[in-house]
Amino acid sequence: MRHERLRTVGAAVLVASLAVALAGRAAAHGGSLQADDARSLAIPLWLFLSTGGGVVGVSFLLTSFVTDRDLIRDIHDRRREVGLSAATRRTLAGVARLVGVVGLVAVLLVGAFGPADPLRNLAVLVVWVGWWAGYTMTTYLVGNSWPALNPWRVGLWLREWLPAPSPSYPARLGSWPAVAGLLGLVWLEVVSPLADDPRLLTGVVLAYTLVTLTGAYVLGETWFERVDPVSRVFAAYGAVAPLYSDDEGRPRARVPGTGLEDEGLARDASDVAFVAALLWVTTYDGLVATPPWRDFASAAVGGGVPAPLLYPAALLAGFGLFLGLYRWAVRRGRRDAESYREPAELARRFAPSLLAIAAGYHVAHYLGYLIELSPALVGALAAPLSPGAPVAVVLPAWFSALALGFVLLGHLAAIWVAHAVAYDLFPSRMQAVRSQYALTAAMVFYTMTSLWIVSRPYAAPPFV
Amino acid sequence: MPADDAPDGTDAGPPYDCPYCDGRFHRESYLSLHRGQEHPDALTDAERAAFEAAREEEEEQLRLFRLQALAALVFIYFGFLLVYAFSL
Ligand SMILES: [Zn+2]
Repeated sequence: MRHERLRTVGAAVLVASLAVALAGRAAAHGGSLQADDARSLAIPLWLFLSTGGGVVGVSFLLTSFVTDRDLIRDIHDRRREVGLSAATRRTLAGVARLVGVVGLVAVLLVGAFGPADPLRNLAVLVVWVGWWAGYTMTTYLVGNSWPALNPWRVGLWLREWLPAPSPSYPARLGSWPAVAGLLGLVWLEVVSPLADDPRLLTGVVLAYTLVTLTGAYVLGETWFERVDPVSRVFAAYGAVAPLYSDDEGRPRARVPGTGLEDEGLARDASDVAFVAALLWVTTYDGLVATPPWRDFASAAVGGGVPAPLLYPAALLAGFGLFLGLYRWAVRRGRRDAESYREPAELARRFAPSLLAIAAGYHVAHYLGYLIELSPALVGALAAPLSPGAPVAVVLPAWFSALALGFVLLGHLAAIWVAHAVAYDLFPSRMQAVRSQYALTAAMVFYTMTSLWIVSRPYAAPPFV
Repeated sequence: MPADDAPDGTDAGPPYDCPYCDGRFHRESYLSLHRGQEHPDALTDAERAAFEAAREEEEEQLRLFRLQALAALVFIYFGFLLVYAFSL
C-alpha cells in the first residue's frame, strides 16, 4: 500500500514537471501577444488555444492521480481559529463601517463636484480602481469583509428606529433578483461611459444607494442575501478565500479554495445561475471589445436588429448558453458516474468550483489595471479636489504571462475542488473520475474560448 | 450484479437502497462501498467482506485508469512537443 502510494506520487511529480514545462512555454508565448501592439502571436493561434485547453486537460488527469480519500478530506478539514478577541473584532467592524460610509459620501460628493477628468476624479478612481479592482481582489485572496464594510447596511439600522415592515420574501424568487441585477450592472457598464464620466457614475451610485437603502429597510438581511448583486458577488468570491467566519462570526482560516467544497454554498438553482452569470460576465466584458464582435454587431444592425437591443440580447443569450452548457455537463457527468443523485443537487455541489476560475480571470483582468492606476488613486486620495498629474506606471513585458498564470491557477483550483466534491458525493472513486469527464470537456472549451478572446486585438464596442 | 450491464447507468436497472440513509445506487458494489464508508459500525461480517471485495474491485479499476491516464499524459506531452518543434 505504502509502496504503491509512493509510486503514484512519483509518477505524478514527474508528469507535473512536464506539464509545468509545457504550461511555461505556452505562457511565455501568450505573454508576448499582449505586450506588443500588433498582438502578433509567436505561435499559431490554433496551437495557442489547444495548448491552453491541453493544460486544463492535463491538470484533470494529474488531479485524478490523487486517490487517497483521507488526504482529500484532511486538506478540506485543515481549518483553524484565528485568535482575535471579541473587542478587537468589534473595533475592526466599527472602523470598517466608518471607512465604508465616509468612502461612499466622498464618492458622491467628489463625483458630483470634483474634476471632470476621470483619471483625476476620486469617485472614478475609488469605485473602479480601489473598489472593483483592488477591493474585490481582497475578497477572494483574503476574505469577504464586505458585510463589515458595506455602507448600505445602515439601511438595516432604519429598521430599528422606524416601524419595520416585514413582507415575506417569496422563496421561489431565490437569488434570481441578484442574477438579474448582476447582468443589469454589467450591461450598464458596457453600454455607458460609466468608467469615464464622474457625473454619470455618481448618478448610478446615488440610484444604487436609494434602491439598496430602501431594499435593506423593507427586506432586512434578506436583501443582501438574495437581491443585492454586489453583496452576492463578494460572498461568492469570499468562498474562495482562506479567511472566513464561522456560524458564530468568529474568524477562521482554511486552505484557499477548499471553502468551495462546502455543502450548502449554492443553496438552489438560482445560486447556480448566479455563479454561471459571474463567470459569463467576465467573458462578455472581453468579447464585446473584439473585432469579431464589431463585425457581428455591424452585420446585425445592418440586418435590422435595433442597436439598443443588441447588447442585452447577447448578454442574455450568452448567459443562457453558459448555464445550459454547465447543466448539460452535470447531467452527462451524472450518467457517466451512474448516480441516482438529483441533477439539481450535483449542479449545486459542483457550481462553486467555477468561482475559482472567475477569481483567476478577475486577477488576470484587473491586476495590471490596478497597478497602473494606483498612483492616480493615491494622488486623488491625498488631494481629492485638486489632484496632481498622475504618475504613469509601465508594466514589464512579462506581466501578461503572469496574468495567464493566474487564469491557470484558477483552473487548477477549480479542478481540485470538483475532484474533492466528487469524492465526497460518490462511494466509488471510479464514479468520481467519470463524473468529471464532461465538466472537464466544458472547462477545456471555456478556456479555449477565453484565450481566443484574450488574443483578439482591442476594438471599442460599437453602437454604445 | 444485474446492474452491471445497465445501458447508460441513469435510472436504469433495479436500485440498491441503503437501509440506513436515503442513499440509492446503481450497483451492489457502490452500495457496499457506501456502507463501508458511511456506516462502518453497522456492518455484519458478510457486509464487511462485500465492502472489502468492492474495494478490491475499485482498486483494480483505478490501477487500470491510472495506466490509461499516464498513457494519455505521455501522448499529450510528446504530441505538443512535436507540434511545437515543427511550428517554431
Ligand atoms: Zn447509507
